[in-house]
Amino acid sequence: MKRAEPNRLAALMVDNLIWLFVLAAFIAFSLLSDRFLSPYNLGNILLRSAAFGMLVLSQAYTFITGNFDLSVESTLGLTAMFAALMLVTTEAGGLGWQLHPLLVILLMLVLGGLIGLFNGVLITKVGVNNLLVTIAMLFVLRGATYGISPGTSISFFPKEFTWLGGGTLTRIVTDNGNFVLSVAGIFVILAFLVGHIHTRYTQFGRNMYAVGADADAARAAGINVDRVVIIVYIIAGVCAAFAGLLQAGRLNAATPTLGANLIFAVHGAAIIGGMSIYGGRGNIIGAFGGVLLWSILDTGLNIMGVSPFWIDVSRGLLLLFAVLLDALRVRYQHNVQLRLALADTSVGLKDKGHSDG
Amino acid sequence: MAEARKTRESDAVLLDMRGISKAYPGVQALEEADFAVRRGEIHGLVGKNGAGKSTLMGVLMGIRDADSGSVVMDGQELVDASPQTMLDAGISYVPQHINLLNTLTVAENILVGALPKNRFGLVDWKTTYADSQERLSRLGLRLDVRQLVEGLSVAERTMLAIAKALFNNARLIILDEPTAALSRVDIDLLFGFVRAQQEQGVAFIYISHHLEEVFEICDRVTVMRDGRIVGTREIEDIDVPVLIHMMVGGGVKEYERESTAGAQVAFEVRDLSRRGAYEDVSFALRQGEVVGVSGLQGSGVDELAQGLFGLERMGAGEAFVDGAAYRPDSPRAAFEAGVAYLPQDRHRYGLAPLRSVRENVTYSVLDRLVGRLGVLMRKDEQALTEEYIAKLGIVTPGPEQQTLLLSGGNQQKVVFAKLAATKPKVLILHEPTQGVDVQAKVDIFNIINDLSAQGVAIMIISSEVRELIGLCDRILVMYAGRVTHEFSRAAADMKPEDILLAIEGGAVDADA
Amino acid sequence: MRMPERHDLLEFLSRHFIWVVLAFTVVIFGLTINGYLGLANIANILITGSVLGVMVIGQALCLMARKLDLSAEGTVSLVAVVAAWLMLPYRETDLAQAGGLGVELDPLIVIPFILLLGAFIGFLNGFMIMKLNMNFFIVTLAMQLVLRGLALAISEGAIMPGTPAAFNWLGGGRVAGIPVSVIATIGLYLVFGFVMSRMQFGRKVYAVGANEDAARASGFSPARTVILVYTVSGFLAALAGWMLLGRLETSVPNLGIGLTLNVVAAAVIGGVSLKGGEGSIIGAFAGVLFLAMVNNALNLMNVDPLWVNAVRGLIILVALIIDAQKSRYRGRAAPQASADAQKAAAS
Repeated sequence: MKRAEPNRLAALMVDNLIWLFVLAAFIAFSLLSDRFLSPYNLGNILLRSAAFGMLVLSQAYTFITGNFDLSVESTLGLTAMFAALMLVTTEAGGLGWQLHPLLVILLMLVLGGLIGLFNGVLITKVGVNNLLVTIAMLFVLRGATYGISPGTSISFFPKEFTWLGGGTLTRIVTDNGNFVLSVAGIFVILAFLVGHIHTRYTQFGRNMYAVGADADAARAAGINVDRVVIIVYIIAGVCAAFAGLLQAGRLNAATPTLGANLIFAVHGAAIIGGMSIYGGRGNIIGAFGGVLLWSILDTGLNIMGVSPFWIDVSRGLLLLFAVLLDALRVRYQHNVQLRLALADTSVGLKDKGHSDG
Repeated sequence: MAEARKTRESDAVLLDMRGISKAYPGVQALEEADFAVRRGEIHGLVGKNGAGKSTLMGVLMGIRDADSGSVVMDGQELVDASPQTMLDAGISYVPQHINLLNTLTVAENILVGALPKNRFGLVDWKTTYADSQERLSRLGLRLDVRQLVEGLSVAERTMLAIAKALFNNARLIILDEPTAALSRVDIDLLFGFVRAQQEQGVAFIYISHHLEEVFEICDRVTVMRDGRIVGTREIEDIDVPVLIHMMVGGGVKEYERESTAGAQVAFEVRDLSRRGAYEDVSFALRQGEVVGVSGLQGSGVDELAQGLFGLERMGAGEAFVDGAAYRPDSPRAAFEAGVAYLPQDRHRYGLAPLRSVRENVTYSVLDRLVGRLGVLMRKDEQALTEEYIAKLGIVTPGPEQQTLLLSGGNQQKVVFAKLAATKPKVLILHEPTQGVDVQAKVDIFNIINDLSAQGVAIMIISSEVRELIGLCDRILVMYAGRVTHEFSRAAADMKPEDILLAIEGGAVDADA
Repeated sequence: MRMPERHDLLEFLSRHFIWVVLAFTVVIFGLTINGYLGLANIANILITGSVLGVMVIGQALCLMARKLDLSAEGTVSLVAVVAAWLMLPYRETDLAQAGGLGVELDPLIVIPFILLLGAFIGFLNGFMIMKLNMNFFIVTLAMQLVLRGLALAISEGAIMPGTPAAFNWLGGGRVAGIPVSVIATIGLYLVFGFVMSRMQFGRKVYAVGANEDAARASGFSPARTVILVYTVSGFLAALAGWMLLGRLETSVPNLGIGLTLNVVAAAVIGGVSLKGGEGSIIGAFAGVLFLAMVNNALNLMNVDPLWVNAVRGLIILVALIIDAQKSRYRGRAAPQASADAQKAAAS
């Protein structure tokens, strides 16, 4: 029963790798550009990636249970477009219903939930592979977004609606410029906080982890696995709908391509934030770190005048680096276990080599 | 004393299984089995593979329906057996490979599905940790409840699984080969824990091939053979040789093979040692000779087989095939040197189940079937496949059948065909008859006989001692990484009792 | 040993599911749409299907080896941009139009270069996955981000019009009236169909996908096989990029974006399982044909082009649901067949 005294510091660093990355990126950009630390920029970091953050939250939920939802980027597009149609006049490209923004928001959240329900039922009850179902849904929903769109972008939303995505809560005036506390930024922080409490401190949240860790063991413990998965997809759909509302609100416009091709960057953020595609690992706070890292890169490179096109490259390279670290960690742990097992036996001491790598 | 024992038995019976029978097509897996466990005893259940242990336990767990017989737990007959009714009756099963939530903490594994909440309905982690810690310490189990299960040792996982069963009010726990992957230190730890629970009145059924351990921990032991209960004994009334005798029975040889051993050495191993697996292993196989190697899990036999085939490192020492130095770093190299290996786990190492019989048979000889530009010669391939289907009597609708649709015995023959097609000089067979029916077994023996008659040196690693005695010219026994005994037909000392005793690490005086 | 007729028929239909679907599609569209089966329209179907078709081969190989290549569309974008950049004359960027680097390399140099570049990207994927034990899903996902980003960074998000005619031959040329891209795609399917069914490499890919451990114990090297599969996949993606750029004659940023998901869908509808070791190149071809025919029919039926995507997605979804029922049916059938075989063996 000998056990290697775990190197506490190393373990702590591995567990919080994402925060090391965030810190490093933050420091690096502060040193590289004096404008990075300006109050205006700091306030901007979260605003720009609010919708993105909601998508990451949706993936964090599905990842915890060991599932995928590629369709969320299209749900974002569809709900944004639908909301726009219901909000504005026919002259501005809408349906002319001019529904109350609150009602629209509510309807869109329900729509997102229904999409999630549909995904979840197909995966659990019909038995279609989760990757394929959500790919197909990604097409269907994006197609539907084009279909219902008037072909152009829709804008001129009522103020009550844009407040959520683009509104300002308060403005703190400093010598270096204004620190803008955006509604969307606060909203995303709150959403992640609620998500954290939900996954960490409720029975349902812990059941999600159990399902992701080992669906059979979870079933044996009396957890209704299908129900958990379906609800998680519903939550993912609702998060994506929120993302759509935030995005439309911030841009004060809806185009049919809103959110298109975001999904891989979204997955990247969740994964670098410590979530595992095999489920049962990581936490919502870590995923938030992933969002922060991505948007620090985004704004940081932007401020330094680097073409925004390099952002995806840096994200991809960072992600590769993180996976490499993870692979090395697994290999290291394997070797430690091997050495421990060998330490327990006295057989075959003549053989000097002991690593099977 | 016999009187006293009788009364003790009658009022202390916890589980009483009577007249359990179960038949599968072609096999009577259980015949009128009577099996009883007392309150608070550790009851060993031993018997060779296929003796009916797992069927009997399957009935007890509610995953197999018995054809006839009754199960009485605590005076209550359990009718309409399902896994849930058995769990509710307090019967719990701890398998060798334990299913836990590996990425979560010990505490969550214990309280999964019903975590303590505070007054806001949120999970109260402080109480969760305290509760689970308190529960574990009540059982005398010292584990850090905040640790992830994936960081626990196998012994700790086993104890955690037992603890979980106890928290679910289990009164009878079935332990299936719990020590197979444990070091001695861990075994002591586990046994200490099991004994402590026994003192609290929990009963255990202990299934193991390690007879020494059965004697170490069990109060009574029941022996099964060929689907029947041979007998139940108080542990102090018997010893290992008697137990082995009960397991082996009349010692009827299942198969008798004439020796085809030639004079020339085909395969030789000198002073082979691998850290943590085996040491000072030396032996030689002559052409056409069939040599059995037997040992418990952990004795080094499995590692030796994989090392000799290049699936793992071979370690220090040397080996020769037909006099040429042999040191494989991959299965490819082994094939090229003329060594072929039939893996124990055919599902993991043997077959590509989705692919056809034809493809599986020719995998290891593809090099010989390619013509120009790497194109496979279809006719040769077809001919080769049909040749081996006929030679080995593989029952299949045709060479294009997916191997996953074949029976276990025929799947095994497909793997045999794959190896035989390489025309090996040395064939290492690892549990060749595991999970195959009686007819296929005889077919496989015939295949072994044919190959050895062609001069192939064959090494059979098996725990089926009776089969080995019928097939082999010599039998080597490994214990704790070393070859400790050699039995041979020439010396006429291949007695099952002696061999089994040697396997269990006992001293055999037959050598003298 | 004969199994009941009904079992045989169902088994046959489930194994060749895509062909049944394809036959239905042809009959229904052929009867309802005027000119659907005309020569011009068939050519149209094949041209639009060719880029997708080339990429599906690479993806099918990855799936057969029980892997996935999410980076293929990134390779398409990158090689297209690199090719245009190397061939076009220098010019100030204006109105979102850009020129090349100014080296104005000959297409005959550029073409091998981009094909090698694609192969190298694939090799890199395979190396990281098999030699560094990195997760294949995340590696190719991250690679996708890197490649797409590089493509955008090099082109600065601008279009680069006017690729040379010699370069455009593959994507836009015709031989005896038949589009070169169609000939090339069909040729590739014949070649890879042959490779996968009749050559050692194909056999190894299936073996590794069906059971990596068993493949190793049979003397194959899974690492070498999988690295080669990814290299081929990268090479074919580069070829698809060349074809696409040749057809458009203009490098567009984000060229090929969203293709990967279409490609995976086509392969899976064509019977290539995500679980590895199953499916055929010819089946994958049927999957591509199916998607191309549906696209084409939706156009001809005057379905609002804005709705085409949605309808196509729905059709894919329905196909997947039927496919899932099929696996369920086969899941039940397998133990039954196994029991039958056992009985036959015992008697």
